[in-house]
Amino acid sequence: MAVIGVGRFIQQRQDFEDSIARSYQVEMVARERIARGTSGEKARAVVVQQAQRRDELRDEISGDTRDTALLVAAGLLAGLTGALLLFSGLISSLRRPLEQLVDAAGRLAAGDRSARVEVGGLSETATLGNAFNEMAEELEQEEARRAELDRLKDEFVLTASHELRSPLTSVQGFAELLMLERESLTPRQAETVEVILDNCRHLVRLLNDLLDLARSDAGRLSIQPQPTEVAPLVEDVVRTMRAQTEASGQALSEAVDPGLPPIEVEPDRIRQILVNLITNAHEYSPEGASIGVSARTIGAEVEITVSDNGPGIPEEQLERIFERFTRGDAGLTQRVGGTGLGLAISKSLAEAHGGSIGAESTVGQGSTFRLRLPVATAPGPAADGAASQGQATAEAG
Amino acid sequence: MATILVADDSETILLLMRTRLEMAGHAVATAADGQEVLDQIANGTVPDLLLLDAMMPRKSGIDALRELRDAGSEIPALIVSAHQNPGDADAPTDLAIDGYITKPIDFDRLLETVAELTA
Repeated sequence: MAVIGVGRFIQQRQDFEDSIARSYQVEMVARERIARGTSGEKARAVVVQQAQRRDELRDEISGDTRDTALLVAAGLLAGLTGALLLFSGLISSLRRPLEQLVDAAGRLAAGDRSARVEVGGLSETATLGNAFNEMAEELEQEEARRAELDRLKDEFVLTASHELRSPLTSVQGFAELLMLERESLTPRQAETVEVILDNCRHLVRLLNDLLDLARSDAGRLSIQPQPTEVAPLVEDVVRTMRAQTEASGQALSEAVDPGLPPIEVEPDRIRQILVNLITNAHEYSPEGASIGVSARTIGAEVEITVSDNGPGIPEEQLERIFERFTRGDAGLTQRVGGTGLGLAISKSLAEAHGGSIGAESTVGQGSTFRLRLPVATAPGPAADGAASQGQATAEAG
Repeated sequence: MATILVADDSETILLLMRTRLEMAGHAVATAADGQEVLDQIANGTVPDLLLLDAMMPRKSGIDALRELRDAGSEIPALIVSAHQNPGDADAPTDLAIDGYITKPIDFDRLLETVAELTA
């Protein structure tokens, strides 16, 4: 419309210019006649007439110019409105698919692997939707594969641990039978049987550790916490460990703050952690070293520390020490009898209690392991050493 | 002296159990699976204690014990399991079981428990 208007306006402008030029020509001819004196009154009338004619033409063209400007403005406005309408249509046809994508991506990230979007609308958003759905599909399948692998792994560990126990029972049982008749064995035979038994115990420890880890991976590390007194628990563990440390000429001391509140734990599991920490301190420290176990309150937690003045752990190893199959200084592996799983399990156990475990060390000066456990909220019946011993028996049975 | 009926699908473990229990002065009868336990009892064996492996082919110790309990038997029974926790042994909570023994067997403890249950 505006274009037609502008075209017509140009044509009119051309006509106007022509008419004005013609008018001037006519006027010039009339003025020449007046100058030469060939025409008088009549030529003067022509001059006036032509001036009027041009005024009229100018009025006409200026009206047309205004109309055309209006027309052009209206055209532009209409075009702009159209563009805006088109654009807002485009925006709204983009918005819904985009909102869906954002929503689905959020759900996917939050773990809902079944999140998908409706594919439709513009070809660009449809392509995007399709790509998203393909990605989500792959994620979902990947997740399922991983879950299946985890399940197979757990099942394998459980089965392997189970199947290995029967032959192990026989080996250990018959070796023990031999030891029952120790007096009829030569010293070398007795020593041989001791080695068999030692290794049986090591295998059992490894199997138990593997089982604990598989359980903690599967989220099945069952903890039955009860209000437990700290001092008898620590004393009991220290008493059990003393034979080993004394054999290496190591001093094992304990310092439990008096009046500690009871902690909310399964005593046998805490015993397991402490035995593990003291065993590590014992095995990694040289003969004559000192090992200290202490306990104190820190806020709503009780902190039990096991420190030694052994060789210490270099910083780069300290970071990884709670990972499974990680051990301090590989050079010691031969002498140290652990499974490389103890600290990983201790960490899982501490966390299953809502507690934590950490380590600090200075090479050449020793290491300190800190176990923090929550204080029992309701002061329950005091679970003394004897009671937790009973718990241990029930658990082992 | 008590008569103990031991069931395990491993001959080696049966031999080990028999040796240790006999050394402690008990009389021992053995069975290779749960069905044999039921058969022996049906044929007149009157054990003072059952020592049953939780998992055996043909009939498990748990299934055999369930049948015995359903028939009204109150013979004390220990379940021997390769699992560390009773929870892993799929042990039913509604079944009267007098204790769990885990493999590898701690014989000092087993003999104590046997003495208590047959006293």
